[in-house]
Amino acid sequence: MKLYLYGIIDSSDQINEPIYGLEGACVCNIPYCDIGAVVSEFTEPVQNNTKGNVLAHEEIAERLMEHFTVLPVRFHTVFDGRDNLLSMMQSCYKDFKDNLARLHNKLEFGIKVIWPADKIKEHIINTCKKSSQKMSISDDSSNKRFMRDKFEKYKLDEEFQAKADKFINIMDIFFSKFAAEKKLKKLKTEDLLLDAVYLVEKDKQDDFREAFEHIKGPHTSFKFLFSGPWPAYNFVILPKNSDLLKDSRQEDLFDKVVQYQELAGAEKI
Amino acid sequence: MTLNSVVETDFPEEFVEEMEKSQDALPKKIDANPENVEKGLAKLVLTLIELIRKLLEKQAMRRVESGSLSEEQIENVGETLMKLENKMDELKGIFGLKDEELNLNLGPLGDLM
Repeated sequence: MKLYLYGIIDSSDQINEPIYGLEGACVCNIPYCDIGAVVSEFTEPVQNNTKGNVLAHEEIAERLMEHFTVLPVRFHTVFDGRDNLLSMMQSCYKDFKDNLARLHNKLEFGIKVIWPADKIKEHIINTCKKSSQKMSISDDSSNKRFMRDKFEKYKLDEEFQAKADKFINIMDIFFSKFAAEKKLKKLKTEDLLLDAVYLVEKDKQDDFREAFEHIKGPHTSFKFLFSGPWPAYNFVILPKNSDLLKDSRQEDLFDKVVQYQELAGAEKI
Repeated sequence: MTLNSVVETDFPEEFVEEMEKSQDALPKKIDANPENVEKGLAKLVLTLIELIRKLLEKQAMRRVESGSLSEEQIENVGETLMKLENKMDELKGIFGLKDEELNLNLGPLGDLM
């Protein structure tokens, strides 16, 4: 018997309402001490990476989030029988408890911002020209011309990064007011200025949302994406020496299913 | 309590495109198999060389900026960096590698370059 794991919750009680997960299978809670592993039982291998299964996995994590603190696990985490699952629960119990306590009553929100990178660069170049910031390298040889081109590119990049930092700081000040934790990624691509996730207490989610609307207003040339609330995919921390991480098959147990969440999001737009 | 997850944007296609771009550039695993092992190794080695080349270049730019290089030194550094870049282009061409492929995902630490 295979057990497909959706997440770890802060309850050892049975789930009251009937929930159906991947391929319509019943979802149940397998208790370990005062926490539980939410699973579906399968006798046949579960089909990997079908869009329906990905969405069903995400939906279960979201349903659990309504009633429990949940540590969502990576899509397609399967255990070979109850003994293996309970053995994992035993070895990770303390880490799970720590994370459940830290994430209690908190939700994850995503913010992505696209900026007009080409226009920003054009603006930087024009500003440099106006302020006649010429560099002192002459161009009397190909080597020096090479250096001059490189230096101009270097300065442009430096200014570009500085502008990105400035915009991100302005936005982050607003969001951080209502966030317990955050993870920001700057310029994952030249146009994707910010890809951020914030951990927000449930009773501050409306304030966080308001902060987003406030930021979105004046920046008409920027494009914004708001998502959430999600289970805290990005804020589960397992120590490097965790027994769980020693098993390479489960190394990415709590990795966010980024591409699938994108798909899930696209469905809801 | 009902928590309805939403994804809200007026520009869904642009965001999907950007996310795909950022994921395509950096595969999480090196694809090494008997058929492409040579390319896989070349990619790893060239990534490290590229990192060192970029560090050298950045250091040179900082010295130019601070004005601590003489005309002769700028000439010499320019020649060295240009030859290094040309050699890298040649090697990338031999192994069929693109600029954006020369990077490594270091997990929680982010990307190498």
